[in-house]
Amino acid sequence: MRIYQWLDSRLNLKPVEQTLLDEPIPGGASWIYVFGSATLFLFLLQAVTGMFLALYYAPTPDHAYDSIQFIEEQVTFGAFVRGLHHWGASAMVVAIGLHMLQAFLYGAYKPPREVMWMVGVVLFLLVMAFAFTGYLLPWDQTAYWATQIGLNMVGTVPVVGEFLMRVMRGGEVLGALTLSRFFAVHVLFLPALLVGLIAAHLFILRRVGPAGPWTDARASLGSETFYPRQVYMDAVVMLVVFAVISALALLVPFPLTDKADPSDTSFVPVPEWYFLFYYELLKYVHGPLEPLATWILPMGVILIMLLWPFIDRNPARNPIRRPVALGAGVVFLVVVLSLLGLSVRNLYAVPRIDPAVARGKALYAGFGCAGCHRIHGAGGAVAPDLSFIGDTRPEQAWHLKHFKDPQSVSPGSFMPKFPLTDPQLNELTSYMLSLKKTP
Amino acid sequence: MSEHQGGGEEGGAHTPVGTRRTFFGWVTKVAAGLIGLGLAIPLAGYVISPALKRRARPWVDVGSLEDVPFGDPKQLDHVTTIQDGYLKSQSQKAVWAVKQPDGQVRVFSPMCTHLGCGYRWDGEEKQFKCPCHGSVFDIEGKVVAGPAPRPLDLLPSKIENGRLLVVFKEFKPGTGDVVEL
Repeated sequence: MRIYQWLDSRLNLKPVEQTLLDEPIPGGASWIYVFGSATLFLFLLQAVTGMFLALYYAPTPDHAYDSIQFIEEQVTFGAFVRGLHHWGASAMVVAIGLHMLQAFLYGAYKPPREVMWMVGVVLFLLVMAFAFTGYLLPWDQTAYWATQIGLNMVGTVPVVGEFLMRVMRGGEVLGALTLSRFFAVHVLFLPALLVGLIAAHLFILRRVGPAGPWTDARASLGSETFYPRQVYMDAVVMLVVFAVISALALLVPFPLTDKADPSDTSFVPVPEWYFLFYYELLKYVHGPLEPLATWILPMGVILIMLLWPFIDRNPARNPIRRPVALGAGVVFLVVVLSLLGLSVRNLYAVPRIDPAVARGKALYAGFGCAGCHRIHGAGGAVAPDLSFIGDTRPEQAWHLKHFKDPQSVSPGSFMPKFPLTDPQLNELTSYMLSLKKTP
Repeated sequence: MSEHQGGGEEGGAHTPVGTRRTFFGWVTKVAAGLIGLGLAIPLAGYVISPALKRRARPWVDVGSLEDVPFGDPKQLDHVTTIQDGYLKSQSQKAVWAVKQPDGQVRVFSPMCTHLGCGYRWDGEEKQFKCPCHGSVFDIEGKVVAGPAPRPLDLLPSKIENGRLLVVFKEFKPGTGDVVEL
């Protein structure tokens, strides 16, 4: 306090403090106004945890995966810090979504706040860009293949798609140059842009003031200062958000998948949940209509979002008197959430394939096993049908022994000995055991 | 705002005063403090822990006991795996092995205790000689001449199934005391 007084007597801080804390909030403080602060808090949390992750992270294909594994396994609280960053990213998407929803519901994008809304939409897009670039950095299979798909989607844009994709990828293939430019964009370019735009967003907020309640009756109650009640609400929400993310970071492990292997095309990547609705949409649109889903629709939605204050000319802010805008908002939400729901359901309906099983299947094909054996109608009929071998021969040891020397467990068998390495033996066995009536 | 709710006026806007104001301020500070602590403690551990961690020193097989002739120091090369953070690298290291009359083997670190140069064995004069500043050690590792402040550094060694195993270590040069790095 004495230091503050000493500084105040020199720097004249009191007016600054008053400007910051005594900002009038029309209609008084409210829990509905906390989402912007929560988003800002999450951004700061991402910035801090990101800086600390950068202490050990190495953005090269040779070392990225190992360095993340080092953070996870060797560094004290490393898994926690990475968990905070991972769950913080998801939380940020949720917070920004709720913040936009609140602004939309309250008609807070209407004059004189159109520019604030537009800057907000750009901030949202930057957050998605953060998510996309950050996803590649661990350089595991999920990261690699999800990014591969994301980049290929850019490639479907007519005329400029190929060029754009190559520029984003930094070359012909997804590799060292891609990783280093994604890293630089994630930790240097995007933060610089984001900080600038957050400053603009807050500057506009202070110039035009918060929108406040939509009814004149409530607004006429008079305004209340930002400090202490709104600050208190924001602080409580930030603490709750921090507690939830910490709990997730501690309790829900977020393991790396295998190290990225560009030659393993059997890997089925799943994007992060906030891109899932889009991923689902692409399943329904094929052929010549594909560009419609990959870029015309998203571009259209982004443009509509950006220009929404000029599209919705209705001056009313009360949702009851804005049926068209509210209807459009509800339809948009229902579509996005349904696609997300469908996608989540499909994901959990399909059993995740053990990579060993996939490799075993490749071996089965490679060694020409189907020349004699049959699985679900495909293959020869001179040797036992293997369609449900996992049910009839569930013992792993039997298979291992059998593959090494078929006659040792099955006297009289004419199956040849195949030159299999130990990992191959295990993979082929995993595949055999996966062949069951009920997966 | 009515008086009993503790309302006040600040530039035309209501503001809580008195105990309500104190309460809100207090909750805000507690929340900020908890978030701060919740981050500061893990992040401090995160920064400090690898810096203080000692590298694991494994026993390394440097060769067969038969390779070491009695009374004649032998330089044994071996490849050791060095864990440098998330990097693993192979490094070739040499040690000097001296067979003792009782069949045991003394193993010396290959660095001169003066400034860390590599020394060599002079078979004619039966002495270890450092080419940098002329330190000379006898077969026991004791300083015979030159600026070396202490005898040659002994490395932990053991013999298993006729193989010589060594824990490779480095020591701070230039001091009279043996300080492991």
